[in-house]
Amino acid sequence: MPQRGAEKPAAGVFFDTDFSTIDSVLAVGLLYGLQGKNNCRVAIVTVSRPNLAVVGFADAVERFYRGPAGNFAQVPPVGMATTGSPGETSPAFVEPFRKKKPDGTLVYRNQVRSVIDTGDPNTLIRNYLEAQYDGNAIFVLSGPATNLAAALAFPGLKEMIGAKVERLVIAGGAFPSGAPEAHIGADIPAARKVLAEWPTPIVASGYEIGAALDFPGASIDKEFAAAVGDNPVADAYRAWRPMPYDAPSWAMAASLYAARPDEGYFKLSGPGTIHVHDDGRTSFTASDQGRHQYLVNLPEQKDRILRTYVELASAKPVPRQRFRPVDAVEKPAIPGKQ
Amino acid sequence: MMTPETPAFLTGRALPRRTILRGIGAAIGLPFLEAMSPVTAAGAGQGIAPVRMAFFYVPNGIVMDAWNPGYEGKFAELPRALKALDPYKQDMLQIGNLTHNTGRALLDGAGDHGRCCGSYLTGVQVKKSVVEIKSSVSFDQIVAAEIGKQTRFPSLELGMDDARQAGDCDSGYSCAYTNNLAWRSETQPLPPTLDPRALFERMFGTGRPMTPEQRARQLMDRRSVLDFVAEGTHKLEAGLGPSDRRKLDEYLSSIREVERQLERSEKENTQIDPHMDKPYGVPADFAEHFKLMSTMIAIAFQADLTRVVTFLVTREGSLRPYRELGIADGHHPLTHHRNQPDLMEKVRKINEYHVQQFAGFIEKMKSTKEGDRSLLDNCMIVYGAGMSDGNAHLHEDLPTLLLGRGGNTFKTGRRMLARRETPMCNLFLTMMDRMGVRMDRFGDSTGRLQGLDLG
Repeated sequence: MPQRGAEKPAAGVFFDTDFSTIDSVLAVGLLYGLQGKNNCRVAIVTVSRPNLAVVGFADAVERFYRGPAGNFAQVPPVGMATTGSPGETSPAFVEPFRKKKPDGTLVYRNQVRSVIDTGDPNTLIRNYLEAQYDGNAIFVLSGPATNLAAALAFPGLKEMIGAKVERLVIAGGAFPSGAPEAHIGADIPAARKVLAEWPTPIVASGYEIGAALDFPGASIDKEFAAAVGDNPVADAYRAWRPMPYDAPSWAMAASLYAARPDEGYFKLSGPGTIHVHDDGRTSFTASDQGRHQYLVNLPEQKDRILRTYVELASAKPVPRQRFRPVDAVEKPAIPGKQ
Repeated sequence: MMTPETPAFLTGRALPRRTILRGIGAAIGLPFLEAMSPVTAAGAGQGIAPVRMAFFYVPNGIVMDAWNPGYEGKFAELPRALKALDPYKQDMLQIGNLTHNTGRALLDGAGDHGRCCGSYLTGVQVKKSVVEIKSSVSFDQIVAAEIGKQTRFPSLELGMDDARQAGDCDSGYSCAYTNNLAWRSETQPLPPTLDPRALFERMFGTGRPMTPEQRARQLMDRRSVLDFVAEGTHKLEAGLGPSDRRKLDEYLSSIREVERQLERSEKENTQIDPHMDKPYGVPADFAEHFKLMSTMIAIAFQADLTRVVTFLVTREGSLRPYRELGIADGHHPLTHHRNQPDLMEKVRKINEYHVQQFAGFIEKMKSTKEGDRSLLDNCMIVYGAGMSDGNAHLHEDLPTLLLGRGGNTFKTGRRMLARRETPMCNLFLTMMDRMGVRMDRFGDSTGRLQGLDLG
């Protein structure tokens, strides 16, 4: 009988984003929903732009899902790049902190006052990768590849990524070809570096995937509100744009595939190589030796995926369990199966 | 030994820094004296004192609400655990957010106490084993190997609790990890000296251990080690100026005071419990023991006997009760307080008590003059722990105080926060620079710790 803790737990997810879309906020909720089902464990969240308001919000979301520091576990800081442009700050990252309880106290507390309260992405990635079993980590990138390119240049980290990471899922590009895409275009040298040097298989979830799967905004005031009274993800959604609206789900699709690659939500292309053009367009060249693949939409899975989004992203936070073997996975319900 | 006919302060000839007063069975190094600097036209001694460093390690974490003030920057009111250091707060830097990732479980399960002490100065995750010991060369030993030839002892390793090197001291971690701070190689720790008498004889003896008969004779005669070097002392004094004479007198008096304390504790030991399982000279009283050991650290620095000291105040997992504070429970079990207020209060008292003892040492360092500065100014004294919250076993925001200005280069008198998850090894890399040892990386460092320097 293996010792307690000796079994492999569910894969650790490293989520890197710029939070430039509301669905990347929803994706964090989705990943914690998947963690609640023991399909993955959220290792860390890193942000690829130096925007304290955005990181402060991400930190509050982390605290909401993880709860207070407990025995042997802290709430890790959110990683933040310190170079580049801070970009725009949506009201989605500010308004939730103004929300008050009936007694007048604030519902969420922003604990990020300065860069000190954030983590260096390279250090965080290194530290939290060290806690993963070989081949038992997954990276999800929903934003420019700035942080991941930097990680590849950090001493010793590329080798560690090669040993610990099973795959990288990128929400970006357009496949097999298409118009320039924002995440790739935001840092073309970084995208090229990651696609060329990342030492594990890469799966791209292109623009067309998320664009075809609009997250149903009506769920914010139904399922989300029913599960937890105050949820920062739902409050951010309300503040992003005037309600009601549905949101394309680029980051959610990539996250769902990352944690449940074998559930048949999407079709996977054959192997090949993704090329990044100077204008931010991507193209794909099939090749047996290629380490890249991309997701293909399956229209018949759309309703199932949207139901899954809502079910998981709205789920009440599940307290983290320290030793939870991977075979304790709660299988997702598959329509038509008992 | 130098016995100048014309006093050095008149001839301008410098007294060698490594002058030693020798007698039968005794060898006493000297403090930094003005006579050791060549006299310039301006008439002032220009010798630059070396930078020294010491680590005081306390176990089982800290109740952090008594440790961290609610502010950053210049010190105002100190938090409860640090109150005893109030007179020295202008000489102190409190550094927050330093992390030892290698103290965490990562993939090795339980055993945070064994891991955190083993990794504290080595910066590596030690191998979880009771028999197959594997750590790495600790950074103090890297420094000692580089500069240790300049002093009588490359380094001194001291402790007060337990020097067992075998057995399981924490969930499968060898006692070698919990009972040592310094590691000469990845398999060879340097066990701490617990017995102040042994330390005294090492520091002021000739290097040859005394036979039991010699020691008994010396004790019976009640002769001080200073008596054996009296002739040399008188000759030396004749060549010194008034300021140096006063300094030498204070220095020798402090050695005599240590001797008296040792005699007192040895006498009390036999009265308290003749069957007590302690080495010959180890005092039963914690404060007395701490004072003896730390005073000898100050003397060792003053006489430049060594520039590197590690002091494992008590070991990780220590079960020591603190009856002198009215606390009968063991320290380690108390730190598993599950946030129960009464238990937390006891741990806070222990945390305070440790710092109070440390403050006595800092007072000695501060009051000892070295050229135009204090001895403390020329040192880097780290007081810290391998865990922050001992109940939660956390390895981030490690309690870290840095006292002294490292040769007048650190901007003290404030609380400085590093970015969260900043490796503790970044501080070590910066300290190595101050010690004259240049490395690009150490342990899991990601660079040098920014923000310590004078502006």
